[in-house]
Amino acid sequence: MSFDLQEILKSKRALRRDLAARPLAEKLRMLDALRERALAIRPAKPAPGAGVLREEPPPYGKSDKRT
Amino acid sequence: MNIREVIATINQMQADGVIERYAIGGAVGATFFLEPIATLDVDIFVTFKAETGSAIASPKPIFDYLKARGGAVQGEYIVIAGWPVQFLPPTGQLVEEALREAVTQDVEGTPARVFTAEHLAAVALQTGRAKDKARLLQFIEAGALDAARFQAIIARHGLVSAWQRFEKQFLSDAP
Repeated sequence: MSFDLQEILKSKRALRRDLAARPLAEKLRMLDALRERALAIRPAKPAPGAGVLREEPPPYGKSDKRT
Repeated sequence: MNIREVIATINQMQADGVIERYAIGGAVGATFFLEPIATLDVDIFVTFKAETGSAIASPKPIFDYLKARGGAVQGEYIVIAGWPVQFLPPTGQLVEEALREAVTQDVEGTPARVFTAEHLAAVALQTGRAKDKARLLQFIEAGALDAARFQAIIARHGLVSAWQRFEKQFLSDAP
């Protein structure tokens, strides 16, 4: 382990590559676990109030208006 | 909570003739090609069957089928095996093509139809939210896209200028 930023970024890329290469069933099990964790954390997050900057999601298939 | 069970249920629904064709999109679809991407729901693109006597395609048969098998409706979602699932009709030619050209992946014996990586990336480019752009970058950084296939798709669907802007914003060294 080091505090060399380039090494840290390199190891992050390697971890992502390793995760991407895992068997599909294993990756889908990870999604199950990630969702459970996200739901466990979610109630602690305050609802966004007025003045909070947010992006309104457009529906699927709607083109970027600038296109 | 089991996403494989969601896929198996949708396969059965297709075998029972409720839907004609389906493909997994969104973050779950991207996970087939990238590292697992945290998400709270599952996006399933489907071609709906029109109800008898109706010219308008409706998701009602899907909801009826799944409710009869224990699915719980929550707004626009139906919860299957603990996952909120949203069924989406193709809203444009790009998604129609993505549905037609989706590939079947094997998940430990369970077939799963998924958009190709190139179509997922093109849909992300077209949708254009910050998180879609981040996902498109993930596809590029992971080397998960066939460049020729991706370029052909964005050319067919009028996304070349959006791609050029994306390249300039995220893939260029110039400030």
